[in-house]
Amino acid sequence: MNKMFAVIKREYLQAVRKKMFIFMTLFLPLLMTGLFIVPIIIAGGLGGKKVAVVDGTGALRDSFSHHIAPEVPDPKKALSGGSRGELPQSLDVEYADAHSVSDPATIARPYLARLNADKNSGKRLDAVLLIPANAFEGNDAKMIYYSRSSADLISLERLGSIANLAIQRQRLAARGIPPAVIDTLTRRVPVDSVQLSRTGEQKKGGDATFVVSFIFAGLLLIPSFIYGLETMRGIVQEKSERIVEVLVSSMTPRELLTGKILGVASVGLTQVAVWLTIIAAAGTIGATAAVQAGFNVSQFLRPMLFVYFILFFLLGYLTFVCIYAIAGAACNTDKEAQQLVAPIQFVMMVPWIIMFAIITNPDSATSVALSMMPVYGPLTMFVRTLVSEPPVWHIVVSIAVSLVTICVFFYATAKIFRVGILSYGKRPTIPELWRWMKVA
Amino acid sequence: MSVVLSVRDVVKTFGAVRAVDGVSFTVQRGTITGLLGRNGAGKTTTIRMITGVFFPDAGSIEWLGSDRDARDRIGYLPEERGLYRQMKVKEHLLFLAEIKGKRGGSVVADAERWLKRFELWDKRDAKVEELSKGNQQKVQLIGTLLHDPELIILDEPQSGLDPVNMLLVRNLLRELKDEGRTILLSTHMMAEAERMADEIILVHKGKVVLSGGLDAVRDSFGKNTLHIDYEGDGGFLEHLPQVKRATIVPNGAEISLADGADPQKILEATIGKLRIRRFELAAPSLEEIFIEQVGAETMEANR
Repeated sequence: MNKMFAVIKREYLQAVRKKMFIFMTLFLPLLMTGLFIVPIIIAGGLGGKKVAVVDGTGALRDSFSHHIAPEVPDPKKALSGGSRGELPQSLDVEYADAHSVSDPATIARPYLARLNADKNSGKRLDAVLLIPANAFEGNDAKMIYYSRSSADLISLERLGSIANLAIQRQRLAARGIPPAVIDTLTRRVPVDSVQLSRTGEQKKGGDATFVVSFIFAGLLLIPSFIYGLETMRGIVQEKSERIVEVLVSSMTPRELLTGKILGVASVGLTQVAVWLTIIAAAGTIGATAAVQAGFNVSQFLRPMLFVYFILFFLLGYLTFVCIYAIAGAACNTDKEAQQLVAPIQFVMMVPWIIMFAIITNPDSATSVALSMMPVYGPLTMFVRTLVSEPPVWHIVVSIAVSLVTICVFFYATAKIFRVGILSYGKRPTIPELWRWMKVA
Repeated sequence: MSVVLSVRDVVKTFGAVRAVDGVSFTVQRGTITGLLGRNGAGKTTTIRMITGVFFPDAGSIEWLGSDRDARDRIGYLPEERGLYRQMKVKEHLLFLAEIKGKRGGSVVADAERWLKRFELWDKRDAKVEELSKGNQQKVQLIGTLLHDPELIILDEPQSGLDPVNMLLVRNLLRELKDEGRTILLSTHMMAEAERMADEIILVHKGKVVLSGGLDAVRDSFGKNTLHIDYEGDGGFLEHLPQVKRATIVPNGAEISLADGADPQKILEATIGKLRIRRFELAAPSLEEIFIEQVGAETMEANR
């Protein structure tokens, strides 16, 4: 028992002192958050586009005479937008009145030329919208949108909808409807998304759950891979440098393995404890601001989340560490071990790969099945508890399956460890393995 | 004297290779026993079975009171360095003691005493990987002894050591023996074994080919070996009719005499060719015995 404690202590101290641990502990949450926010900020920063509107009617100047601000100006709100298509984007409009000429295209020509002007000249345009003179009354009137990139759907949508709104207002005004009435008639109706829980509680900002789920899933999964790999490398190193001989001549392989896994588990627990503290602190401080921005943080940072996170983290982590320990014990070099785990890693990643489907459909047959399967259970179940409210028996079954899995894996690991850890250079034959298992 | 370790008919095969093929021997308390043999003779495999690293395929191994705690009373120095590269020296030593069930203030004091004695005090907080190979070997040796073991098993303890440190180890082993500890020393360096061992076990191709007290073994080969030190080129000695076999080194030779040969004739043959500094008729050296026992077939194999 004391020997096992010596191993736990050594594993723990060695890992915690490493720079990687400190880096991961402090920066991974930031990194994960950054992965989602940075593209939005970058997109926001690049979103300023210069467009020209050549207006054949000459009546829409008011609608285009000002800078068009992004529809979703706040990145935090953009986060809750769910779809990347609604990234903030501002438009600078140059307005050209073309109603005096017979063909607006002649006025448009110099603007079209500027689509391919030198980037740095300041004259370059990203798009030109051509509004025909008969836009108000013509049955077959068509606006034409010229741009360099056909994929610039956001600007197209924005300009098109602004132009259409302006044209409709003009049509209404032409029929003698007073401006105040026009305002009432054309007022837009925004859409809010609300998640309704079984207890009838209403949660706003349901789309944000998507991003938060990804961040938490990442925090749950990444340490399992990183420390699993570390454990594997550690075992390979102990073998290749014969440290294991000293260890095994002093304690049983099972004591050694238990000590190692508990040591690594303590490292992981320390890490998530720090993360949860950071998240809780940031959540408390940022809650007011976030709520004002329509982003209800408290709905995520409820106490049960922390309980589930630690619980499913431990279950998933121990499962993975056992898998990596088997690989380490069975191989003689890092390279060999990595080749062995590469396909296994891919299989273990399945819930992460289909995370989108699990988050959007947490109670589908696939999600439920995955959440009760060995290896996949912890991550899937955790995400389900985060975005939905699975029945208690689902959670209990998931935990039980994981516990049994860990016990079986641990038992197998201990056996393979005993045989594999000492077989230098060559793989034991099956009968050998069987006989040694019985001895061990 | 009592038997501390008893190895009986132990067999270990790796695939088609019988690395250890029915080895038996005993180790007496308070002795230094040399386990000798060429590389690949089966020494390390035998030792790994004794320390519980390998299970023997057949046979049994017993040491005094082979209970669970007994292995805490064994100190084992593996053949190759077996240390965590990233750990600090003193920390590592305390870890090695702890997995043998020893911890607390007295172990810390012992560790510090050992570090000073082995001139590693300045390096106590250095990482193992920053040390030279010789210093790592010394750390490993301290780690083997720190928990105050009764039976000390050393597999090639002097590999990587310079002559000064070899002397340090040699003196240390004698001291440990004087304290009543038992030492099993595996080595392929015959001269070292000759200087230290009380008992020898000579292993060749997985079998014990010779064992017993060092003096008894040497005496059994009779005093028919000439030890000559000289100046000059002694190459011709090999071809004298009185010489059965000669091991020629610069400025010296060890000569096995042919049956009934008169050493005086050899001395006469050297006159005018070599300047003799020593001319001694004695028991053969361990190296000579070793070559006698295993060399013949080795040479045939090489031919």
